[in-house]
Amino acid sequence: MTTPILEIRNLHARIEDREILKGVNLIIPPGEVHAVMGRNGSGKSTLSYVLAGKEDYEITEGEVLLDGENLLEMDPAERAAAGLFLAFQYPIEIPGVATMTFLKAAMNAQRKARGEAEMSTPDFMRAVKSAGTELNVDTDMLKRPLNVGFSGGEKKRAEVLQMALLQPKMCILDETDSGLDIDALQVVSKGVNPLRAANRSMLVITHYQRLLNHIVPDVVHVFSDGRIVESGDKDLALQLEAKGYADFDGAAA
Amino acid sequence: MHQTMPVRLGPAEETLIAQLESVGASAEADRMTVAGLPTRRVESYHYTDLKTLLKTVPPLAKVANEASAPALRVAGAYQLMIANGVVQAASTAPAGVIVGKAAGGVLTSRDDVLVHLNGALAKESLTLTLESSVDPVIQIDRRIEGEAAHAADAVKIFVADNGSAVILETFSGSDAAHVGNHATYLAVGKNAVVTHITVDLSSKATNHFASNEYSLAEGAKLRTVTIHAGAGLSRSQVFARFTGEGAHGDFTGLNLVEDGQHNDITIDIRHGVAHTTSQEMYKQIARGRSKAVFQGKIVVERDAQKVDAKMMMQGLMLSDEAEILSKPELEIYADDVVCGHGSTCGELDEDSMFYLMSRGIPKAEAETMLVRGFIEEVLDPIEDEALNEALTGIVDGWLQGK
Repeated sequence: MTTPILEIRNLHARIEDREILKGVNLIIPPGEVHAVMGRNGSGKSTLSYVLAGKEDYEITEGEVLLDGENLLEMDPAERAAAGLFLAFQYPIEIPGVATMTFLKAAMNAQRKARGEAEMSTPDFMRAVKSAGTELNVDTDMLKRPLNVGFSGGEKKRAEVLQMALLQPKMCILDETDSGLDIDALQVVSKGVNPLRAANRSMLVITHYQRLLNHIVPDVVHVFSDGRIVESGDKDLALQLEAKGYADFDGAAA
Repeated sequence: MHQTMPVRLGPAEETLIAQLESVGASAEADRMTVAGLPTRRVESYHYTDLKTLLKTVPPLAKVANEASAPALRVAGAYQLMIANGVVQAASTAPAGVIVGKAAGGVLTSRDDVLVHLNGALAKESLTLTLESSVDPVIQIDRRIEGEAAHAADAVKIFVADNGSAVILETFSGSDAAHVGNHATYLAVGKNAVVTHITVDLSSKATNHFASNEYSLAEGAKLRTVTIHAGAGLSRSQVFARFTGEGAHGDFTGLNLVEDGQHNDITIDIRHGVAHTTSQEMYKQIARGRSKAVFQGKIVVERDAQKVDAKMMMQGLMLSDEAEILSKPELEIYADDVVCGHGSTCGELDEDSMFYLMSRGIPKAEAETMLVRGFIEEVLDPIEDEALNEALTGIVDGWLQGK
């Protein structure tokens, strides 16, 4: 049996006294795209932060394996080097750090952590240029401070550009569709779809079905009150769109 | 009737009085006897109580007979040196530069103990006259060498009308409990463009005091950068006066303070004439158990209408035991001016740290990136590549705990 790229077993997490994840179980085999849908406040974004290693959460139970490795023992940088990538719902603006400098630091830090040689500047520039063309990201944007003054669409495109450059095993897209108009959504999806590969899995978190027309998932999970309550194929997303979440989590919509 | 309370003098003051008397500065010796070193009750020394902080003063400096390695090398710079208060012989000056020597101190008299001491103790000054635009960076390497010594030195620089120059002053020396009292007077001529950078790189054991006085003529443009990255106790004073219309000053600085250090940048910017502008931007970073002090005062005199001045202090705390103090002051006597000040203080942003780390950048490197981003505004305007690189190197070295 092949090792799943991501395996989450009975994951419980809390922030201060409030339990937010209440026993998440999820297995994503290599090459599959899974979607997690759920209403606001169901814990979807918490799941993405917990996987990426944000400090605010306390894991009380369960385990997470990334390609067989214990993810929860690593700090966020180690998780990234191990192949995890989170595309943020709200990418952070960092004044004073040029986007290009950041990209190079990230790529080389990951290579170094994996014992690979640093990338030469010409190779790096070539990689950025080819990834950028796909996503309408020009070099002018990359000279600006990281995410500062970027429009909503530019921020999301920059996230996908990072994903394309870093070549992770496991991509988590946290509400990548939020704040995007239809055109921007298409550009972003066009950037994401070519990254689907036999050795790469994705977890797409969203609360609208719309994104899933563009990035078509293999499996759809319904997330409610801190756990997965229903799983199915892509038609489950359509059912959700038609009926709302109430049918699945028992609460009134 | 006003009665003078006798001041209890400590060993540092006793030494200073003896030293002042030994050079014949009896008026200054009397002043020290009556007032002593300033305590926190003296407004301008409220956060830097010299009576408490300066426990002892070493003997007056003798001629240095050896020199440590230069504290900072900048490719292509023209180097001048003052060691233990003595102006050293210089190599052939680049075009437009006249190097000389004069007796005595250089600062205008003002009610300040460091200024008084420098005026009394500096035996000679290095004089620089810049007649036109000077290409290479001029570096004045000011050191205190050998056993612990009290050294006073002075530099006087005139930049002619329409001239331009980048002047770097570095302070360093042997690893001993020196007291350095340095003075620089810089007059910027009409429409001249000058960048003046002072960097303290002395050892932690050293006490570093520097007073820089500036005069800006009509249309002059001055940028100052004050960097503290060395002495355990330091205070840099920036006294600037706008004397001609249309002049602009950017007064900036980095106060880098680590465990056991107390560093103070105090500025006093006087807009004496109309239509002059200034921007003050100071950043303080403190880690360990340390204290960073910024006092910023902008004075707009009565006839100085249409002055535009903005002052900003930003502090970054890298430890819970660090202290960052900030005292901005505006004193405005004209009625048609735009003046403002701001002061902020915080820790490294957790969300930014998480974002950088989530891309694989290890914690220490992510911190360095954010701190570099924080100070970028101060170093970015320095266009000379070699110089910018050298200064960035100092900051990086500090960040890596060197």
